[in-house]
Amino acid sequence: MAAAIADPSVSIQDLSLNFGSVSVLQTLNLDVAEGEFIVLLGPSGCGKSTLLNCIAGLLDISDGRIFIKGKNVTWEEPKDRGIGMVFQSYALYPQMTVEKNLSFGLRVAGVPKEEIAKRIARAAEILQIEPLLQRKPSALSGGQRQRVAIGRALVRDVDVFLFDEPLSNLDAKLRSELRVEIKLLHRKLENTMIYVTHDQIEAMTLADRIAVMRGGVIQQLDAPQTIYNRPVNRFVAGFLGSPAMNFLKGELEAGDAPVFKADGVSVPLGRYQFEGDGGRAARPCIFGIRPEHIALGDAAKAMPFSAESTVEIVDPMGSDTLVWTKLGGQIVSFRVEADKTLRNGDAIRIGFDPARASLFDAETDSRL
Amino acid sequence: MADVSLATEAATIRSAASGPSGPKPRHRLSRRNIFLYGTLIVVALYYLLPLYVMVVTSLKGMPEIRLGNIFSPPLEITFEPWVKAWATACTGLNCDGLSRGFWNSVRITVPSVLLSIAIASVNGYALANWRFKGADTFFIILIVGAFIPYQVMIYPIVIILREIGIYGTLTGLVIVHSIFGMPILTLLFRNYFTSMPEELFRAARVDGAGFWGIYLRIMLPMSLPIFVVAIILQVTGIWNDFLFGVVYTRPDTYPMTVQLNNIVNSVQGVKEYNVNMAATILTGLVPLIVYFVSGKLFVRGIAAGAVKG
Repeated sequence: MAAAIADPSVSIQDLSLNFGSVSVLQTLNLDVAEGEFIVLLGPSGCGKSTLLNCIAGLLDISDGRIFIKGKNVTWEEPKDRGIGMVFQSYALYPQMTVEKNLSFGLRVAGVPKEEIAKRIARAAEILQIEPLLQRKPSALSGGQRQRVAIGRALVRDVDVFLFDEPLSNLDAKLRSELRVEIKLLHRKLENTMIYVTHDQIEAMTLADRIAVMRGGVIQQLDAPQTIYNRPVNRFVAGFLGSPAMNFLKGELEAGDAPVFKADGVSVPLGRYQFEGDGGRAARPCIFGIRPEHIALGDAAKAMPFSAESTVEIVDPMGSDTLVWTKLGGQIVSFRVEADKTLRNGDAIRIGFDPARASLFDAETDSRL
Repeated sequence: MADVSLATEAATIRSAASGPSGPKPRHRLSRRNIFLYGTLIVVALYYLLPLYVMVVTSLKGMPEIRLGNIFSPPLEITFEPWVKAWATACTGLNCDGLSRGFWNSVRITVPSVLLSIAIASVNGYALANWRFKGADTFFIILIVGAFIPYQVMIYPIVIILREIGIYGTLTGLVIVHSIFGMPILTLLFRNYFTSMPEELFRAARVDGAGFWGIYLRIMLPMSLPIFVVAIILQVTGIWNDFLFGVVYTRPDTYPMTVQLNNIVNSVQGVKEYNVNMAATILTGLVPLIVYFVSGKLFVRGIAAGAVKG
């Protein structure tokens, strides 16, 4: 965990939420720094959207406190929390024009007309939706609708932006376009942003820090690179990265020179950085290595560990090729450049640096 | 190059074999169509026959009716029965026809429809979007209310109205109609509002709109179809009501249906079939017009409300 943040923009303390007897969030703590872009990442049903709705004040919490800008907002209405929210389904008011959609919150709050016009002009300029202001949402494309939805949060002039899977309803091309736009927007506004997604690419590209969630608990909260390279448990390791990390079942042989042993394979772990004294005790464990960290041929020979194998399946993916093979009787995939021509049954040599691997306890699934 | 040769090959195969190609031809006079439309026409005639007899009889004079040919068209068209039914037919001491009942019915229907829909739509909105504690229990009680036979409640309500001091007035009847419309209308509105995307409601809350703000500015403008359905249900239901009308009003405030009954079932004098037919058609005219004007919206609204329960 990172050191405590001195003056957090959003601070969640011991937050719990139960629906009847079902516990959705359990004593959750999260501090978000001023101007930080936090991504809540996890599979469906992990509680990430629920957490966002709690921060927004759309769900009543069972226990704990929420601070925004140093103010305790635990019992405040959503409108008084200084937040703007963008929804997955855009949630634009269908009977209002874009302009009326943007100004609805301001009109409800009784903001003077000149001020409303000024803020709409600014938001429309930032998001480049000026030509659309007089249209109804039904006459907009998906990307335009999501821009308007972002604009609705923008005009409210808030401290914290909440995004609830804003790009999930868009096609792949638009999604990557808007992803860049959101990143630029964050750089321009320097607001605190909390962004919920199940898409790891969005998380990796956008976040200052990622909070990986499962079962209502934050598994790991750290910078994207740290989460990618040093996942704290097997769940985080398997959830991030595409194609997914390879997992090999085996035994850890402890001692001064610890070794990972699986059926006919022994990987020296001299270069592996154990967490605490994880390497001291022998136990069953799981060895994880990412497909892009496995080298082939001459490069493999230069690695601290290498072994002979044969190609099982070749999956060309355009930019590169995924090759499936076997190591110690277990299936392993690795990436090669697209111009490498490999065929099923080819004898190959693969190798990797154990320093880039992740070792997990087979029982607790946590990092060793 | 391979593509080109394949394409030409395909074309030659198509022209050579002259097999099925293009849209499948449809036969107007297929056995299926004859059966389908034949059944529909027979059923339609069967339904329309009583209406035809009513219209035809109402346009005949009494001598012609006595001939007994109820299906034959009128030899001499007369509108006198219609005028009499509307303006001069006698019920008890009043001899001003159905016109009195018509205006009574208007004065009952309009406020009852407005009041019941106003309350039920807010009920449905609150039940769908503001999940308060005990909402489900409240909803179940309300729905059970729809299944209790009216007869059980008639006498208690008479006593309640008497104690409040509005028994026999139009106000009392309006209140009774509004209460009895509540379960089914609330169910209708609740289901409709439940089918609306919840994120819309959440967005409005983040924008700072409150209970009434969201209802009036977001939900109302989006729910025209369901309001049309509710209006049709209530207008026809209340207009056609006989039981409450006869129990909770007095002769000078009788709704049209009660008055129609009194004209048709009068025991003195000759049975004036033509006047009775005209009076009946006049009474049924309002619901009929409502259906014709709003038929399409009605179907759309019912479908929209029925999707999610």
